Amino acid sequence: MNLKELYQEIILEHGKNPRNLRKTEGFNKDAKGNNPLCGDNVHVYLKLNGQKIVEDASFEGSGCAISMASASIMTDLIKGKNEHEAKEIVEDFLGMIKENPELKSKYLNEDEKTKLMCLSGVKQYPMRVKCATLSWHTMVSAFDEKTEEVKTEN
Amino acid sequence: MNIDQIKKEFPIFDEKIQNNDLVYLDSANSSQKPKIVVDRINEFYTKQFSNVGRSVHYLAVAATNLYENTRSSVQKYINAKDKNEIVFTKGATEALNLVANTLGQSYLQEGDEVLITELEHHSNYVPWHFLRKSKNIKINFAEINEEGEITLEEIEKKITPKTKLISITHLSNVTGAILPVKEITQLAHSKGIIVVVDGCQGAPHLKLDMQDLGCDFYAISCHKMYGPTGLGVLYGKKKWLEELPPYQGGGGMINEVKKDRISYGELPNKYEAGTMATAQVIAFDQSIKFLESIGIENVMKHEADLVEYGQELLQKNNSVKLIGNPKNKGGVLSFTIEGVHPHDIATILDEDGVAIRAGHHCCQILHDKLNIPASARASVGIYNTKEDLDQLNESINNCKKIFNL
Repeated sequence: MNLKELYQEIILEHGKNPRNLRKTEGFNKDAKGNNPLCGDNVHVYLKLNGQKIVEDASFEGSGCAISMASASIMTDLIKGKNEHEAKEIVEDFLGMIKENPELKSKYLNEDEKTKLMCLSGVKQYPMRVKCATLSWHTMVSAFDEKTEEVKTEN
Repeated sequence: MNIDQIKKEFPIFDEKIQNNDLVYLDSANSSQKPKIVVDRINEFYTKQFSNVGRSVHYLAVAATNLYENTRSSVQKYINAKDKNEIVFTKGATEALNLVANTLGQSYLQEGDEVLITELEHHSNYVPWHFLRKSKNIKINFAEINEEGEITLEEIEKKITPKTKLISITHLSNVTGAILPVKEITQLAHSKGIIVVVDGCQGAPHLKLDMQDLGCDFYAISCHKMYGPTGLGVLYGKKKWLEELPPYQGGGGMINEVKKDRISYGELPNKYEAGTMATAQVIAFDQSIKFLESIGIENVMKHEADLVEYGQELLQKNNSVKLIGNPKNKGGVLSFTIEGVHPHDIATILDEDGVAIRAGHHCCQILHDKLNIPASARASVGIYNTKEDLDQLNESINNCKKIFNL
């Protein structure tokens, strides 16, 4: 267990000043997620352009440093990706959070990979994995236009 | 009273938790278990096991006597008038569901009002919500004051001519407020209103006297009372338990079963359908013996000292904000730290072996009212010391350091 690994500077910084913590004007996809056990909630908004590329992504909600940082980093790097690319990145991220030692997606550049790897400390804290993954599950739900609220599971 | 000696009776404190001594501050969630309780479960399964109340063989009779013996101990401990006013359930949640369900079946009518409070745990709200859905009853909420208390005046204000029932916590699991249950009951009874008490936090930490308190029902969670999980107690006044219909149907609760008619058993069997948590009931007798050996007055004094000490400590710690400041306060210290989410606090404290709870503690109504999504909660039990609270404070400081506060 290593708190320094969990609470890296970049996590604390994103947690304190989350990017894209707002509601995208003219969004065309959105979904809500919550964690019934702890009461955390997130609402993800996506705006896709005519070419189905994410023009803007944002979120509203409240949660711990891990969940806020995760949503912040996610909404930042998903811009400019299409649905297929975004979903592959989600799979890659979830795989890394659970077991994989590294990220493999060809749709992520080195800088993006480095940022996401800052969340890998969560692996050692099974109870906190859902904090990191809630916004990601919720984003998939937005793409799929699911109306049901996403509930987290480990 | 020697707390070090008492602490030694709890085997878990001999364990290293992730290489740390355990600083257990989560007793409002569930208490640790003294060795005599753990040993009793083992002994019963190893040497004495049988189902109760059914067979006539030696083991069955002996087990039945042990089981009924706990009922008598509970009766004595809470000063209930009659042994049959003690019903075992699978938890306080089931006890409250039993009350709401059976009153819903035969007493409460459409349009009747149930008064609860903003302090209630979900288990003392959701069962009444079921009746709101199925019977169209109305639920009113008594509101907390600035200190996180529910006053008698507030209850009085919220009673209407349609109020049929008041269901309240004895001790808030978030603000620690101890409600004036006796006074509320007197007021309610003068208006013909039934009183149900969620005693989950009250039972382990306060002196219980059902005849003095006067309430109609009182729900107890045994695992918060140094007892086993999977067990609760419902105290109900005999006249109510006799009058109300059964809650669950099955073996043990019947008198006679025919193809065209069924009659139900007498109290308390009427409410104990199926094979009960036998080993837990038998072991719970040891929990009561444990509490009696210390004396509830001593428990209350020790915990009041701890809370006062902890409150002072946290009040002095800038950036820590305590939730509620009730005059009559039980062993609960809920707090927030500006700039650190409670889940992060809990994870960081855990690294030092300090076990607290973070979240809404099953009290979303209260957290909405306080306008916070979650809080951190340290709660004490008989085994805690001032050193535990010093460690809590030190770990909170570490948490602030990590978050650059």
